[in-house]
Amino acid sequence: MFERALNIFWILLGGAAAAYAWTLGLVGSSGPDSGLFPFISALIVMGAGVVLLLRSPGEAVAPDFPRGAALGRVLGVAAGLAFMAVSIPYLGFAVAGFVTMIILLRAVEKSGWLFSIALAFISVVVVVWLFGRVLGMTLPRGPWGW
Amino acid sequence: MDAFGGLLTGFGVILTPENLYLCFLGSLIGTLVGVLPGVGPLAALALLLPITFTLTPVGGMVMLASIFYGAMYGGSTTSILLNIPGEAASVVTCLDGHQMAKQGRAGAALGIAAIGSFVAGTLGVIVMTFFAPAIAAVAIRFGPPENFAVMVLGVICTLYMIAGSLVKGVLMVALGFLTAAIGIDVVNGRERFTFGSIDLSAGIELLAVVIGLFGVTEVLNNVERVVKSTVVTDRIRGLWPTLADWRASWRPMLRGSGLGFFLGLVPGGGPVTASFMSYALERRMSAHPERFGNGAIEGVAGPESANNAAVAGSIIPVLSLGIPGNPVTALLLGALVIHGVQPGPLFITQRPDLFWGIVASMYVGNVFLLLLNLPLVGLWAQLLRIPYRVLFPVVLLLSVVGTYSANKNVFDLWVMLGFGLLGYVLHKLAYDLAPFVIALVLAPLLEQSLRQSLAMSPDGAMIFLQRPGTALMLTACAVLVALMFRRTKKS
Repeated sequence: MFERALNIFWILLGGAAAAYAWTLGLVGSSGPDSGLFPFISALIVMGAGVVLLLRSPGEAVAPDFPRGAALGRVLGVAAGLAFMAVSIPYLGFAVAGFVTMIILLRAVEKSGWLFSIALAFISVVVVVWLFGRVLGMTLPRGPWGW
Repeated sequence: MDAFGGLLTGFGVILTPENLYLCFLGSLIGTLVGVLPGVGPLAALALLLPITFTLTPVGGMVMLASIFYGAMYGGSTTSILLNIPGEAASVVTCLDGHQMAKQGRAGAALGIAAIGSFVAGTLGVIVMTFFAPAIAAVAIRFGPPENFAVMVLGVICTLYMIAGSLVKGVLMVALGFLTAAIGIDVVNGRERFTFGSIDLSAGIELLAVVIGLFGVTEVLNNVERVVKSTVVTDRIRGLWPTLADWRASWRPMLRGSGLGFFLGLVPGGGPVTASFMSYALERRMSAHPERFGNGAIEGVAGPESANNAAVAGSIIPVLSLGIPGNPVTALLLGALVIHGVQPGPLFITQRPDLFWGIVASMYVGNVFLLLLNLPLVGLWAQLLRIPYRVLFPVVLLLSVVGTYSANKNVFDLWVMLGFGLLGYVLHKLAYDLAPFVIALVLAPLLEQSLRQSLAMSPDGAMIFLQRPGTALMLTACAVLVALMFRRTKKS
């Protein structure tokens, strides 16, 4: 079921991309235009989606998606990364990274508070020192200047 | 410049304290990456690529290349002691390596894996020394149609070598091309698929895609299960193989070196395919195939040699043609471009210091790796005690730093997360992600070559059949496509 939905998505994506590429122009006065290459690629995506959709149901892969606690861990990691992407512009890398690591260790791995705080603190300090100081990279800073 | 002169230049470049240090550091990190399950060489290269921004191109590439072949050495340690491959190319080493460890022969298995890796790695670099300039000398005569045909052949070979559904592979290639089209068309400056977004107008950042697909996806796959394993923790003794071990292993090592090098050259091949094919070959050639899976030392010597030889083989098309055969070499190509170097037929003549420096560093790196992997194997075994729950948040933190540092743009973090989730779902549905990355890297050059070829041709697409080299390569493509359809129909 899930795979059939994905195959329909490929067809729609390919169709939409091909239509958009068409509007860019396929061939201009000086030869191939901006739309030609993406148009061909989009047609292949659409065609492959059709072939996959038309296969017999027995050939489809039954995805082994996680359930229960395993699903919680996967969603926890995704939520942790989303939180970091949202919070970095406001909190800076150090604080956002510290909070995200605690979320991951507590919520995903059920680690103890002391262990989570210690590991998060050490990891963030090492990363900020290595990348920010030693390698001179500009990491995003919070309103407090770090 | 001949090969010997070039090699002397290379050693002149590499034998400086800074470059030797970077080669050693890369070998150390590579071994670490290989040893730790859940951190593959591709994710590690992507995460550490930003570090090289502050280095010279030679230093940066030496470090990245040594991480790549270092991971092949280190991968065997987890396979043998833990029965969990540190990286994909060491999967088959689990079969006999772990059995040997359970029989009290962990030392012999680790020893033959390290020595086999050293022999194959060195043989591979020796062949590379002479072979890469020869290929570049031919490729220097290529025009846009030939470049287009070579890249199409590369993509078709990648599809030919993938495991699983061919249609899904084709879809991944086309999706990679479409993703690469996002941004500004370099020919006429027109925006494509940006929908007015400033973030999209710069295109999709390769580093964010690779870290998402191979770093985040790997973490998501690993956190969903609790891995229980049997660690062989006895003191490791007898690393130097016995005479009987040598007698059983030297032929598999040589066969693995040859097979691995050849499969490394072929786009879509690389270390993973090489190790599997070497294992199959050794089992087929053995007088006692029933020993395989029960601790046969040939089952360790062959694949471990093959995956290291494949590294040298797979670097040749990148440096001499500018065509990556697998995602790791695609990232190496991306790294060269980030450093302002365009790999291809002119690379060896225009940047002999860089090309020969990389080649020479591989000789030196193999010696470093032998020294790191034999005497320090006990230390690496101790590292296996680090639980994954400690490792994965650090990997994610490094993923964020690596992605952000490319453009200093938070949008890239969303791209990383998006591709991480996409990769996770596609992995569950048995899609191979390698063709996507290769297509993403090749797309700009492929499109440019196609457009230049068609623009210079009065007969349109017929130009590809009018030039003998192009026609030959496209015929090879057609044969491979026919073989793929035949194979698909049979299965």
